[in-house]
Amino acid sequence: MATQVRRSAVRWPGLAAFLIILALLAAFSWLLLDSILRWTFERSLGTLNGAEVNIERVDHQWVPLTIQLDGVQMTDPAEPEFNRVVIGQARGVLNWEQLLLGRIHFEDVVSTGIRVRQERESPGEVYSLPDKAAMQGWAKGKLADLGLEMPSVDEIISRVDLKTPAAIEQARAAFEEQQEQVQTALDGLPSKEKLTEYEEQVKTLSEGDVSNPQQLQQRMEKFEQLKAQFEKDRTAVQQFQEQASEAVKVLRENLDRVKSAPQQDLNRVEELMQFNAEGLGEITEVLFGEQLRVWSKYILLAYEQLAPMIARAADESVVKPQRGEGIWFSYTGADAAPDFLIKQARTEFQLFGTVLDIDWNNITHQHQQLGQPTVFRASADNKELWRSLNLNGELKMTDAGVDARQQWQLQGVNLSNIGLSDSDEFTASLINALLDSDGSVSLRDSQLDGSGVVRLSDMQVNAAADNRFAEVVANALETLQRLDIQADISGAMTTPQFNLRSDLDKQLGGALKSAALEAGQQELSALRSRLQSEASGFTEANQDDLNDILALLQDAENREQRLKDLLSVKLQDRLQDKLKGRLKGLLGDGE
Amino acid sequence: MLTLLAKFLRALNSETGAWALAFAFVLGMIMGLTPLWRVHNLVILLIALLFRVNLTGFILSFLLFSGFAYLLDPLFHQLGFAILSAESWQPVWQSMYDSAFWRVLQFHHTITIGSVVISVAFAPVLAVVSFWIVSQYRRRIQRWFNQLRIVQALKANRFWAIYSGLRG
Repeated sequence: MATQVRRSAVRWPGLAAFLIILALLAAFSWLLLDSILRWTFERSLGTLNGAEVNIERVDHQWVPLTIQLDGVQMTDPAEPEFNRVVIGQARGVLNWEQLLLGRIHFEDVVSTGIRVRQERESPGEVYSLPDKAAMQGWAKGKLADLGLEMPSVDEIISRVDLKTPAAIEQARAAFEEQQEQVQTALDGLPSKEKLTEYEEQVKTLSEGDVSNPQQLQQRMEKFEQLKAQFEKDRTAVQQFQEQASEAVKVLRENLDRVKSAPQQDLNRVEELMQFNAEGLGEITEVLFGEQLRVWSKYILLAYEQLAPMIARAADESVVKPQRGEGIWFSYTGADAAPDFLIKQARTEFQLFGTVLDIDWNNITHQHQQLGQPTVFRASADNKELWRSLNLNGELKMTDAGVDARQQWQLQGVNLSNIGLSDSDEFTASLINALLDSDGSVSLRDSQLDGSGVVRLSDMQVNAAADNRFAEVVANALETLQRLDIQADISGAMTTPQFNLRSDLDKQLGGALKSAALEAGQQELSALRSRLQSEASGFTEANQDDLNDILALLQDAENREQRLKDLLSVKLQDRLQDKLKGRLKGLLGDGE
Repeated sequence: MLTLLAKFLRALNSETGAWALAFAFVLGMIMGLTPLWRVHNLVILLIALLFRVNLTGFILSFLLFSGFAYLLDPLFHQLGFAILSAESWQPVWQSMYDSAFWRVLQFHHTITIGSVVISVAFAPVLAVVSFWIVSQYRRRIQRWFNQLRIVQALKANRFWAIYSGLRG
């Protein structure tokens, strides 16, 4: 009889195998911890950065729990050929207790050898492209776009629709039309002979005896007929006067227009030349914009580098996971400690050959839980490059986004041999200058708003140009001793926009206009002579016609006056008086 | 790989229980679909090793479903995102997040929770389907399968040698 042995459901050797696997995993992790950490940092920082992050080496130490990163390169998503920031070394001490609770709290972080905008050996991978607006050029224009060419008078004249010939043509048409209308009205006027005849007829009617009422009646009827004729003729005269007055008005206007047209044309040509020159009115921005951009990278470092990463870390929807990565949700309560916190950090920036220390406190993306903003300050006096620098500010994440403000005072920066322009037609460089700057800028709803002043003094500029127009700019720059540049800061936090202006713009605008007008003087004079000759020829030729109409108008006034006199004759009273006298005589003789 | 397949065939053709094979498939499926470096996978590995689960079936299932997992990651992420951001579940996630135990399980990761939910939901289906397939294979197909000419031909080559060697 076969017996079936029921095997146990538990496989005890399997437990031993499990323990061995666990031990192998632990050993594997232990040995490869640095590589795992490096990979983890590269992935997580890359996600926050929006582009590839490379870390040369990661080291760890168990007691105290310390992590050290060497050679961190963070690709600029907008320009993958460049790193937005390079960190030589970052070393931080992690809090064990918080780590066991799933929080990453660094007690103290020291970063050294930080540089911004460094060229990469090969372009980095971009995970999320900044929007188009953020990638637009920073400066408004480049020197090459301005075209430092002298405006050509001939070219401008060809572009200008000259008013003088048009005004002459218009006036000529107006003259012909008005003359025709005046002539038509003139034909309807009573002649001088006719007026004399009227006067004779009225005289005949008013003179001689009126012997009876029938005669009186007949004369009055005759006079009424004449008056009707006078009224008709007077209306014709008045119409002529109106027509002639209108003609005089129109012709005078046209003549005035013709007379003023040459000057207006000249003014327009000069304006266009000036307008061309005004295109160079933004020379401050063009010349100093690029350099200020470089400096601003340091001044706005906290905003440009840290704020976007904090904003991305705080917004799960912004951080698009790479395939297979997923998103880690955070359910930290309002009173709990932040998931990520660097209590204090010291960053050493390599800046124009010197080192600038910036101290940070409370770097996190959960400021509301922490109850404190991230604070940063840099204060460095008597450095090789500057006399004093004070930079301080704070930023925090709110429900509305990043809210930050900072201010700076920088004094006595020694600038030397800074290229301002290196185009074919114009080269300029700042040989020496002393720079002071102060200002403030705030960040609300991820938009910058602020202003600053950059004061350059003891300036020595070398400039050379290959044409007269560019020469004006070169001369103006070379005579500059000091320059105050006003800078308005606006735009998105990652791509600040600067609107730069200074007295140089106004000075150069005037100087360039003068230079353009001076250079085009001969052509302008020729243009002036030609236009004035055309205009005066026309006005002289047509002034006689205008005078003729004025004479006709005067004559019409005389005629109207005569008709008016005729109409005002009190013939009835006069004849009635005569009749009464006659009747009185007859009655008196009878008595 | 040939060895692994041979072992699997041997398990199919042996007296190993159909449920033991089905259970192995389920455990391998959960481990394959969910992210590998998670604590729950250690538990699954412990179960697979400690209990008499067919290890060949477990490993094959794990390899197979790891491939599916790559294709299904976006689905896991979407589901996990929806679950973790569901308004009514926030208090639950909040309290779990405050617990070190749950934090260690990394439930707050979208792909982790998404894949766990899907694989656990699919587990009973896979268990029943696997059991039925294994049973049907043994009852109806095994004899017919062994008589196929291609199988006969295979028996003459190295694969059969490995298979026989295992039996040996």
